[in-house]
Parts: sequence; structure tokens; C-alpha cells
Amino acid sequence: MASDFTQQIRQKAIELLENGTVECVIGYETGSDGIGARPAFIYDAAEADRLVFDNTCTHNLVKYLLNKKGKSTAVVVKGCDSRALNLLLNEKQIERDKAFVIGVVCPGIVEWGWNKRSQRLQKRCDWCRQHTPVVSDFMVGDPVTEQPPAAFADIVEAEAKTAEERASFWQQHAERCIRCYACRQACPGCYCTDCFAESLDPEWVGIRIAPAESQMWNTIRAFHLAGRCISCNECERVCPVKLPLSLLNRKLEQKVLELFDYKAGMSEDAPAPLITFKKDEKLGIAE
Amino acid sequence: MTKTLSKNELESWLANILKERTLVAPRRVDDLTLFLPVHSTDEIAFDCSNTDLSPKDWFFPRTEALFTAEHKDDDIEITPAVIEQETVIFGIRPCDAKGIAILDGPYLGDPADSLWAQHRAKTTMIGLSCSTPAPQCFCTSMGGAPYDSSSVDILLTEVDDGYAVETVTEKGETLIQGVELKESDVSGSVPSCDAQVPAEGIAEAVKKAFDDPYWGRLADRCLHCNMCAYVCPTCYCFDIRDRTEGGKIERLRTWESCQSKGFTKIAGGHDPRADKGSRLRQRFCHKLLYFPEQFGPLGCVGCGRCVVSCPVNIDIREIISDIQELGAKVGEGSN
Amino acid sequence: MSENSAPLIIGFLCNWCSYAGADMAGTSRAAYPSNIRILRVPCSGRVDPMLIVKCFQEGADAVLIAGCHPGDCHYNEGNYYGRRRFALLKELLDFMGVERERFRIEWVSASEGKRFSKIVTEFTNEITSMGPRKAG
Repeated sequence: MASDFTQQIRQKAIELLENGTVECVIGYETGSDGIGARPAFIYDAAEADRLVFDNTCTHNLVKYLLNKKGKSTAVVVKGCDSRALNLLLNEKQIERDKAFVIGVVCPGIVEWGWNKRSQRLQKRCDWCRQHTPVVSDFMVGDPVTEQPPAAFADIVEAEAKTAEERASFWQQHAERCIRCYACRQACPGCYCTDCFAESLDPEWVGIRIAPAESQMWNTIRAFHLAGRCISCNECERVCPVKLPLSLLNRKLEQKVLELFDYKAGMSEDAPAPLITFKKDEKLGIAE
Repeated sequence: MTKTLSKNELESWLANILKERTLVAPRRVDDLTLFLPVHSTDEIAFDCSNTDLSPKDWFFPRTEALFTAEHKDDDIEITPAVIEQETVIFGIRPCDAKGIAILDGPYLGDPADSLWAQHRAKTTMIGLSCSTPAPQCFCTSMGGAPYDSSSVDILLTEVDDGYAVETVTEKGETLIQGVELKESDVSGSVPSCDAQVPAEGIAEAVKKAFDDPYWGRLADRCLHCNMCAYVCPTCYCFDIRDRTEGGKIERLRTWESCQSKGFTKIAGGHDPRADKGSRLRQRFCHKLLYFPEQFGPLGCVGCGRCVVSCPVNIDIREIISDIQELGAKVGEGSN
Repeated sequence: MSENSAPLIIGFLCNWCSYAGADMAGTSRAAYPSNIRILRVPCSGRVDPMLIVKCFQEGADAVLIAGCHPGDCHYNEGNYYGRRRFALLKELLDFMGVERERFRIEWVSASEGKRFSKIVTEFTNEITSMGPRKAG
């Protein structure tokens, strides 16, 4: 199946580049360990045979479209990535007619690291109920029927602890955070040219690498993604100190679903929950 | 005949060190292995090949106050930071130790960085040579070796019943005083790191390939996530900013990375490295060209951490190889 | 953390309704504990989650946001947006160990002076019995 996907993607890339439909095809190629994939930027049809698709294609390539504004670019997207595409379209960060979307029905991505690969699926693939891209110009693979929505078991488990235990848990993790901002850099939803964390006045976060500042950073980043995070979980994957960032994002995802019946990135047009309101809604606030 | 120490004797020695100094060693925390203070030798991860973050934190902390200032009567009193605690780092690998030693170049140049100098003076390193280098290691290609003792105070090498001990410096002598070493006949092959990275003459090649569009293409996938700089034992860029708390001002120095957007932004708004390609190129020019030009050794010790951590597989070994090829082509073209 | 273990409460009051309401509490001599430090904002919808999290970071034991009743916002809609935002933030903070009870949102109109004083008194008592914020 995977090799067939690879062939289809390569063919399409050759076609798009030869016809001049796009200047660049953003896909995946095999990395230096011969095991895991890495993002590949193909500018010439002759190089299209670098492209592959397998179950190590973890990266969310949609982020790179933000570096290609105004240029016709093709991008390979899995289910989660396609939701990121809708997010960026919804927020008017990219133009639909400049992006050629090669959708891939995702087989699930395994946990892997440099020079090691397991057969176990990533956590986010267990949670995923959108293996078929929600937007595409060319689809590779046949759409799948999804299982019923997953319960947020990880959130329920985390909430079973007392407030004191929770505070202590996050404090410990804030001590590990080195504020490299890799999470932000990997996230397609984090594209502000002037991130709040780098604001000098007001200095919301500051440069000190210490728990108080790191708490502020992680809490607010999660909040800025409320109703926007599409659960690709790249933030957690890239974190050098393995912070459980998915817990924060998924807590908000759970609440946004519960309070506003909204799932990020499912359509280009749906109004985002934090920029709309219903006059009579009951949200547990001052009632 | 070699001086040796059994595993038990090593642990007692370390336990004694613990009583008077901070003992830092590789320790497992969840899925990570980090150089952290230990409170007992049980906490030491003796079997790790290397830690996830380098030990440079112990000489160049991720956050450090350079001085504090506060109003005292009608004047301002400035209190420079003083490092008083003696620290021993156990289990540091020759590559990481070399990384610390080469940073003496920029940090002990004139004028010397007082905090770096203090950390160096107050820290003793008990190195551990590498019996089995990891797949990402390439120290020998960068001028180091898995058994290189030149940058540590004491070097231990695993042998049959314990460790062979090489005391390198006076500081090492002082630390090991009182520890009884046995004279043993040890056999065993010298560990080797077989990775072949063509680093010979890389500085010239980088210079020649400076204007090549290679850098822009490579940077296409770079996320500028700063991870390479933060895991690296030889990256030493920092940011300085003042922080006020309760009427006291601290001048803080923290890690920064040339990869982050805005690293080179200057007053007026101009940014000479605004594009991804120039920022990425800077990393490799610094390590492979500017650093050796200024200080002698290459600015990379071959620990492989960047190779393992980069989320998009920007691999310095591959880059060195590519640049050698590109540099050679430039050589051919010109005349 | 506050010096004398009395809770430190930060209040964001919207200029048009709740700040005026607090003012009315003052003029009617409806006393309330002075643990609350009031900040006047143009609209409850202006209150940025960063401000709230920063308050907790800097040592506040509780945060109160008071705005116009939904439908009465001086800027028509500000409090509707705020309501959604605060509903989510409350949950996130609770998840991270800052109990829901420490972050309170109330709609107080300009004529509800006595009610404002009652709210603040209740809130202060509740937070006092909860004790100072733990960790983080």
C-alpha cells in the first residue's frame, strides 16, 4: 500500500512540476538514518523520485506553506494536516488557489526517532478520527470509515488527581522546559510574526528560563490554540524534554467540543468559536 | 599495569564526594537522561551512552544572574554573582568535555568571562570513555576520540572488573586523594568510533560554498526551533536582559540561538539574517569556519545530539559531506 | 504570595457597569474586604487571558472579573466574547491546578452596589477558607 502511495505521489509531483502548475512540491523523503522521513522540497520533476510516503511521515507540512505565500505550491497532507490547512485558510493566512493539495488517506504514523522505529502507532493516531483528508485536490488512497469518537481518556485520567497534585505535576514539567520554542515552531497554528513570548513591553514571559516563565509560556500557548489546535501533536513530538503538551491542547479540545460543539479545521468557512457567540448560551459562567 | 578501581569502590568514592560537593551525573527522569545533581549513587544511570541535553548547563547555565542591583541608602549597590559551590561532574564523555574545553576559547579570551571562569575553577570532571559509541557519534572525525583524556581531570575506562583510572590534572589528583587504586593487568581493546565524516579541510570548503543556493534549499525544511543550539555542547550564544523583582534588578543571561528569527535584528528594524537560508548557513559557518579561524579547533565535537534531536533531520554529517563536494566544485571552476 | 496570609484578589472591573457598581457600594457605605485590588478596564471583553494567568503567576490567590450583564454591554458584544473566553480559561486553569473557584466571573450592573459588596465579601471568605494558592 505504502509503495503504491509513493508511486502516486511521485507521478503527481512530476505532472504538476512539468506543467508548471506549481513551483514546488512539499512532501517527504527518507532521512539520513535510512529509516525515518523528513520534509522534502522538490523544485524539479527530475527530483520527484526522492519523494516517499510511509508510516514515518509524521511532519505537518502545512506549516511550510506560510513560507511560500504567493507562490503556487503543492503539499502532501494527511488527515490531521488537512485540518491545519483549513485552519490557515479560515484565518486567511494562505490562498486556496495557490495550494495544490495532495491528500493521503493516512495509515497511521508509528512512533520513531532517529535510527529507531517501532511498530506502535503514535498516541495521536489512536485518538484520530479523521484519517481521510478533509480537503484535497488529488486523493491518494481510499477514504476510510471512522470508528466512533474517542473519549478523552487521557484527560479524564489527568483530572482524577487533586488540584494540588495537578499543580505539582505542571510545576515539575515547567522546571524541565528549556524554552527552545520548538513546540511553537513546529505548530501550524503558531505563526505570529511577533509572538507574545518575545514581547518586550509588556514583558509577558521574559527571557529567564525558570518554572514561572515556562508555565506562562505553555499555558498561554495552549490557550492561543483553543478551538484551533488540530491535534497533529507535532509540538509534543519535537519537545526535547518530552513535556506532555498534548494534555493541555486536548483539555481545551474537549471543552471546545463540549461547550461549542466545534472541531477545528473541519471546514474552511466555519466561524471559529472564540470570534463568535450565542446570546443565550449557558457556559457555566455567572449563572 | 594500569591503575584500576572496582565498581563498588567507585560508588563509595562518589558517595564520599556527595557529602561535600554537588555531584552531577547522568540521571533518568521519565524518558530522559540528563546531567543532574544526585543525592545517592543509586540515582546514577551508569549505562547511558550519552545524555539528551549536554552538560554545558553546569558551566553555562540556561539562566544565570550576572549581578544584582538594588537601592541601598541613596546609592545603588551592585552585587556580582559568585560561584561558591564545588561541583563534580561524573560520567562526562570525552566529546562533551572537549566541548567545554574549547569554549574556553571564547569565554576565557580577553576579557575573560568571570562566571565561566568561576564555574571552571569550581568544577572537577570525572570523564568516562566510551566503550560503545552510539550510532550518531562521530567524535574521531572532529578531532576527538572515545578515550580522549585531554579535557577531563580524571578519565575512567570500563574494564573487566571495574574501571581503569587515568588521573590527568592536579585537580584530579586532589579529588582522587585517599582512594586506593589497584595495579592490574587489564586487557581489552581500545574503543573506536568508526563513523567517517569527511571533516578534513571543511573550513575551506565552507568558505567556498558560502554563496551556494544549497543553504536556502536546506533551510526550506528547517523550523528554526533552536533545538540544535540547545542540545549542543559547544553552542554558546546568549541573550542578556534585566529583570526586576521586588525592587531588585537582576541582569540575566540566558541561552539563545542564532536560528531564531530576530536573533540578528538591530535597532532600526534591519535584520541582516532575516531569511532562513542565511540563518541556517550561519550555524554551520560558525561551527566549521569562523570558530576554527578564531580559536583553532572545529566548533563541533561529534556528539551527534543535533542529529538525533532535529525534528526535520538536518544532519551535520550529511552537510559536511555535501559542502565538501560543493567546495570542490567551486575550486574546479575558478582560475 | 501575600505577606499576611490574607488572600490577594485581583479584580478586573469594566468601567461602565461593574466599576460604577463598586463605586456605588462605596457611596452607599456597603463595605467589603480590602483584599481585592481593583483594576478598571473599558470592558470585561478586554481582559486578556495573559493578564489573568500573569496575576496567578505573580502571586494572586484569586481573580475576579466583573462586567455588564449579557445584553447590556456598553460596547454591545464585548462581554459575550469574554464569556466564551473565560469559560475555556477557567477549565484550563483548573486542569493545571488553579481551582475553578479561584477564578470568578460576575455580571454586576452600575446600580448593584450592595450586590457587588456581597459578591466580594463572599468571594474573599471562600478564598480565605481555601487557603493560599499551592505551587506553580
